[in-house]
Amino acid sequence: MRTGWKWNFLCRKIEALEENMKNGLEMEKNGGPQRDVPELTREQIEAIPQQLFTPASFNEEEAEKISYSNYSYWASTLKNFWKNKAAAVLIVALALLIAFTVIQPYLPGQRPATLINNDPDTGMHLRNLPPDGEYWFGTNDIGQDLWARIWAGTRTSLFIGVVVALSDLIAGMILGLVWGYVRKVDRLFTEAYNIISNIPQTLILILVSYILRPSLSTIIISMCMVGWLAMARFVRNQVIFVRDRDFNLASRCLGTSTFKIICRNLIPQMVSVVSLQTVLAIPGAMGDEVFLTYIGLGLPVAIPSLGNLVNDGRVLMMSPQLRYQLIFPAAVIGFITIAFYVIGNAFADASDPKNHV
Amino acid sequence: MGQKTDAAKNDTIKNDALQNDAVISVRDLNVKFHLRGQRLHALRGISLDIHQGESLAIVGESGSGKSVFIKNFIGLLDKNGWIDSGEIWFAGQDLAKLKDEKVWRKIRGGKIAMVMQDPMTSLNPLKTIGWQIAEALKLHQGLAGEAAKNKTAELLSDVGISLPETRMKQYPHEFSGGMRQRVVIAIALACNPEILICDEPTTALDVTIQAQILQLLKDLKEKHHLTTIYITHDLGVVANVADRIAVMYAGDVIEVGTCEEIFFQPKHPYTWSLLSSLPQLAAGEEELYCISGTPPNLFQTIQGDAFAPRNPWALQVDFLYRPPYFEVSPTHKAKTWLLDPRAPKIEPPAAIRRMMELGKQPQARAGRKESADAK
Amino acid sequence: MQNERRNVLLDVRNLSITFGRGTKTFKAVDNVSFHIYKGETFGLVGESGSGKTTIGRAILRIHPTSGGDVLYKGKKINGKLSRAEDYEVIRHMQMIFQDPMASLNERAKVSDIIAEGLMNLQPDLSAKEKKRRVEEALLSVGLLPEFSSRFPHEFSGGQRQRIGIARCLIMNPEFIVADEPISALDVSIRAQVLNLLLRFQKERGLTYLFIAHDLSVVRFVASRVAVIHKGVIVEMANTEQLFSRPLHPYTKALLSAVPIPNPLLEKKKELLIYDPSCHNYESEAPQWTEIEPEHFIWANRPELAQYRKALDL
Repeated sequence: MRTGWKWNFLCRKIEALEENMKNGLEMEKNGGPQRDVPELTREQIEAIPQQLFTPASFNEEEAEKISYSNYSYWASTLKNFWKNKAAAVLIVALALLIAFTVIQPYLPGQRPATLINNDPDTGMHLRNLPPDGEYWFGTNDIGQDLWARIWAGTRTSLFIGVVVALSDLIAGMILGLVWGYVRKVDRLFTEAYNIISNIPQTLILILVSYILRPSLSTIIISMCMVGWLAMARFVRNQVIFVRDRDFNLASRCLGTSTFKIICRNLIPQMVSVVSLQTVLAIPGAMGDEVFLTYIGLGLPVAIPSLGNLVNDGRVLMMSPQLRYQLIFPAAVIGFITIAFYVIGNAFADASDPKNHV
Repeated sequence: MGQKTDAAKNDTIKNDALQNDAVISVRDLNVKFHLRGQRLHALRGISLDIHQGESLAIVGESGSGKSVFIKNFIGLLDKNGWIDSGEIWFAGQDLAKLKDEKVWRKIRGGKIAMVMQDPMTSLNPLKTIGWQIAEALKLHQGLAGEAAKNKTAELLSDVGISLPETRMKQYPHEFSGGMRQRVVIAIALACNPEILICDEPTTALDVTIQAQILQLLKDLKEKHHLTTIYITHDLGVVANVADRIAVMYAGDVIEVGTCEEIFFQPKHPYTWSLLSSLPQLAAGEEELYCISGTPPNLFQTIQGDAFAPRNPWALQVDFLYRPPYFEVSPTHKAKTWLLDPRAPKIEPPAAIRRMMELGKQPQARAGRKESADAK
Repeated sequence: MQNERRNVLLDVRNLSITFGRGTKTFKAVDNVSFHIYKGETFGLVGESGSGKTTIGRAILRIHPTSGGDVLYKGKKINGKLSRAEDYEVIRHMQMIFQDPMASLNERAKVSDIIAEGLMNLQPDLSAKEKKRRVEEALLSVGLLPEFSSRFPHEFSGGQRQRIGIARCLIMNPEFIVADEPISALDVSIRAQVLNLLLRFQKERGLTYLFIAHDLSVVRFVASRVAVIHKGVIVEMANTEQLFSRPLHPYTKALLSAVPIPNPLLEKKKELLIYDPSCHNYESEAPQWTEIEPEHFIWANRPELAQYRKALDL
């Protein structure tokens, strides 16, 4: 499932990001305009009046003032992110796409996605109409409006993606924090992880899909059941990485409770890497949905999703005049996936303090 | 070093002659960096000669620009930095204008080698140390096969590693920190350099190892006729190894002199502060002298003496005009208005006065206990 | 002796600390005993990996101990403690860390960092009182009250270390473990931090366990010194005693390695190198012995005889 290029890519990004975080918020300093001061000539030196050679008053407090820093890590990260033109364009386009997906059914003149359109004259289904002014993306083999179906499908797929990513985040975060921070359970969790992760995830998905009736909640449940594993492992590694840093020891010395240490010291350190991981889980889950539908374990045909649309289109791939039925949904899912990864990539680069010059 | 040679050296400084015994001659070097849309003036007009066969210590706190300064000698300035003006004369060419990477590669390693603070960063963990030394020998001395192997063993025993034949088959992780630093030094020597730059070579090491490495560097310098440049933030560690000391502050060399001059007759208040903040020099219950505040912000133009805001002995003129070099002796000069004839006589801190007293005593009487306990 | 009349604040008896479990154990600290008098600075000197930091952390209950006792005012504080007892330890003991870059939470404001321990002990402190206490703490370490709303990355190493000290002092501790508090700092600002520590000791009667790798610093701050090598304390004495008459060859090697900021002496200095094989512990095991009042050494009988001769006892 989440193996292969996607996963590797994600891992690499996350690693790069981890590295960035490690280097942390080191560089600072700010300042104002600057000009070169020329060296004094002998005449100028001799012309310096005698009264200047008297001790000046010394103000210790003045010396202590920090002349440094209006540098902020997040501000620099954002600034660098916007410098990446491709990512900036994509994030705007993606935001527009998602916004449109949400408001599309409320716009005037939209047809319901499941409505079967009949020819008002003949009463026949308007089957396999190529794109035209009326049906912008054409219709499918039972006369449903492909335009409406694609947005409905995107809605479903995004919903699946967001819910799965959030549940990954919550479950993975809680378990990962406990796993990483409480030394006593490390062994137990690691062994459990080893066992569970050795069962092919596809198998679990197939099993759940068989046991439960195919539906939106089934597919979400099955994906949530496997998704948190990777996240928990990831969070655990992050925790171990910062757990024994001096500032956590200091908090322990100061009597701060474990819960507070986790909330105040550990989680803020991981916000950026974990949020990136969560965001990248969205296209991951959408891809999984397409895959599950492809092997016949996905959503029922009645619910339009990008997986269903791609699967329907795939059947018609061989007839050139019907290819639009594959191309449109494939383009949408392709765009969403690519946009997420390019944005994630740009964010990882932008968050590298080494690039904050 | 005798008085006469010192005087001769000074003539070359005075005449600004770039030949004679100056291996590297830096003239009015200005280096700037682009950092987050701002310009950082990292080196502010440094002029310094490094003489043939001497060992020079460049001392300064972090951010004083000492590392940036020597990076110019090996052409490894960070890519957001550039030489704004100035010259660096080495072997008849101006390194400040040298752009040809091929020539640089010959200088770097071949003529000027460097030992870094953390030995692990300069060693390849996946290759045996024998391989790594042999690689340097091949590149810079054209040795291969049996000759390279013999030379490797010789270098390893040179840097004080026993059983070189066995040790050269081992990997860096099998060595302790001090031993790794010795290996790094061996690799630097394998390049057969004229100049060896040691960037905080002992900061990461334990005290006992630190002393051994410094001693080793000193011995190797004699044996291989090297010119050595030490970079450090700790004046205490260079007393043994340095012939001359240059004190850097805020991107400028504010005082330079022979080792004895800097320790026994320091003139710049910053040098006073550096010396008297050493706990070794404290006497009894007295508080250590300390410098308050932080170094200046080099993004902004510095008016007058960069140290003035932190300097309890600052004169009013310090805040207005940047002091030029005042010569104290042919080998000793400092950038402070306190040396101007019009300046009032100012008493240095107690620890410095004790050091000055010690300097006047005949060497034989200067016992170890007195150095710390003299009141 | 004068020392015997003084109160022992912290007594460490036969402390052992082991890392790892199963067959892969590593004894970081082996059967170490020392005591610290109230109001003094006790220096613990050793190289990296000698176990000195581990001892400091074990006293503060960060590392579990595997043998021996740590007694604070006569009460055992290692091993299992009730929550109330744990709080009591936290109230009395604090720690200053080596690396000011790593010991402050980058994502917290200076005021929250400094008040962290205070809020743990007195959770119902009013915001106004908290602000007052934080500003007082900042001023006491020579920083400006206006810094309290800044973040750690805006400060230099020396300033950050002083924030760490303020965080520690706001708890009003009696005993502080200072784990190499100056070795990560630039030489020019080390003095400032040392002066602060000494001033607070005078003002508040604090007791320090000062961990260092450098004897020169310890000589300046400590009244008594223990030298640790590979998890074993090899020598312990009053500072002047140890510096004027070091006995153990390791102590001698450490002393000879201290850089002297005086070129005339430094160039003549003879460097001693410690070789553990100079001890013959096969025939007779060494013991922790008080060779002269307040001067302890890790040696066996033949060595003791030799040391006594050196001391003219």
